[in-house]
Amino acid sequence: MKKTTVALLLLALAAAPALGAEKRWVVSEGTALKAEQSVTAASVAELPVGAELTVVEGAGRWLKVRSANGKEGWVYAGRVSDTAPVAEVGGGDGLFGDSMQKSQINTAKADSARSIRGLSPEVAQYAKQRGTPESLKKELDKILSRKVSDKEVRTFLKEGKIGEYAQ
Amino acid sequence: MKSFTMTLFLALACLCSTEAHAGWQDKLQNLMNPESKEGKILSGATQVVSSSQEMTYATERTVGQSLALESMQRFGKPVSNEALQKYVNLVGNAVARNSRRSTIPYQFVVLDSPVRNAFAAPGGMVFISRGLLDVVENEAELAAVLAHEVGHVAEKHALKSIRRAQFLQGVGTISAATMKGSEGKKFESMIGDLQSTLFDKGLDQGMEYEADLAALETTYRTGYDPAAMISVLQKLKKLEASDSGKGSWFSTHPPLDERIARLSSSLEKYPDHASLAKVSARFAKTVKTAKK
Repeated sequence: MKKTTVALLLLALAAAPALGAEKRWVVSEGTALKAEQSVTAASVAELPVGAELTVVEGAGRWLKVRSANGKEGWVYAGRVSDTAPVAEVGGGDGLFGDSMQKSQINTAKADSARSIRGLSPEVAQYAKQRGTPESLKKELDKILSRKVSDKEVRTFLKEGKIGEYAQ
Repeated sequence: MKSFTMTLFLALACLCSTEAHAGWQDKLQNLMNPESKEGKILSGATQVVSSSQEMTYATERTVGQSLALESMQRFGKPVSNEALQKYVNLVGNAVARNSRRSTIPYQFVVLDSPVRNAFAAPGGMVFISRGLLDVVENEAELAAVLAHEVGHVAEKHALKSIRRAQFLQGVGTISAATMKGSEGKKFESMIGDLQSTLFDKGLDQGMEYEADLAALETTYRTGYDPAAMISVLQKLKKLEASDSGKGSWFSTHPPLDERIARLSSSLEKYPDHASLAKVSARFAKTVKTAKK
C-alpha cells in the first residue's frame, strides 16, 4: 500500500505541468522581429540565423517570442525551428573557434564571391584530369552564375501569396 | 523493503531537484528519445560537434561541382530554357532558405533527361530531370521534391554514405596542386563512389525517410501544402508499373508505398496543411509553356 502511495507521488511529480519556456532557433536569413503579427508590421530587431528565441505565446503561424537580449515581438513560425540549424565548417580552423552564426555567414559570403568567378581552380584541375568536355565546363559555369537574391525570393513568394504573404 | 527504501530515496531526489518542473528523470529519459524536445536539442548539439570535425565547406563544394560534371555526362546537359531554370531556382531557394541549412548558396538545375530523377550534390547543387518535372503538377509538388533534395544536402547524407573513402581517411581537403598527385587520385575515386551511391545503389533508406520528413517540414514552413510530397509519390506510384525504373527515383529510393505511409502518418503534425499554397496557375504558365 505504501509502495502504491509513493508510486502515485512519483507519477504526480512526473506529470506536473512543464513550466519551462519553449525554445526556437532562427533558420532563415533576413528574419525580423515584428511589432505585430504581420509581414508589413514595423521591425523591432533583425534576427541572425542561429539566434535562440523563447516562445512567449502563440501556437499558430505567428509566434510571440523573446530574443536573447530581451526584445519581444512576433516572428513568422516558418522562419524558426525547434532544432538548431546545421553549423558550417569554415576553412582552416573549423573546430569550435567561430560562433555558429559567424562561421555560417562568412562561409556563405566567401562562397558567393568565389562562385561568381566561375569554376574553382580545384574543379578546373579535376575536369582537366578527367578530360571533361569544354561544353560541360561552360554549363557548370552557367549554373554557378545563376543567382537568386533575397529580394527576388520575397517578391516571388508575395506574388504567389505564399507563407507570410498568404491572405 | 529494500526496493521501498530505494523508491523513497528516488522520491526525495525528485523533490530536492532544482528543476522546478517535469523532473530531471523525465528529461534524462527524453534525451534518449529523438522525437522529444530534449532529444532534438541533443541531436542539434551533436550535429554542431560532428560537423565541426568534418570536411570544410569549400572542399564540400569542390566535391559537389566535380560530381555535377559527372552527372551531366551521365544524364545530359541542363535544358536551355532560361525562364524555366530561373523559376526552378526561385522555388528551390524559397524552400532552401527555410531548411536546417539555410545560409549556403543553392543552385537548382533542370537536366534534359527523360529518366524521372532528382538528386543533390554535396554543397548545395540540386538537380531535377525534365522527366520528373513532367510528373509534377503544381508548385507545391515541385517545392516538395526540391525540399527533399535540400534535406540531403543539409544533413550531408551523400558524404556520410562514403565515410570509408580513402580521401576522407587522409587530410580531407584538396587544392588545385594536390589534385594532380595521390590525393587527387583518392579524390577521383571518391567521386566515383558518390556516383555509384547516388545513381545506382541509392542512399541508406533511413536517410531517404529523413529527407522526406525534412521536405514536409520545409515546405510547410515556407507556406506550401506539405501533402504535395505525398501526391508526387502517388503519381510516381501509378507510373511505376510502366517504367523500367533504371536510375530513377523508383530504383534508388525505398518502396513508394512505405514512403507514402510514413509521410501520411507524419502529415498529422500539420493540421492546417490543406489551407496552404499549391500554386497551380504560375506553375502551369512557366513549366507547361516551357514544354512547347
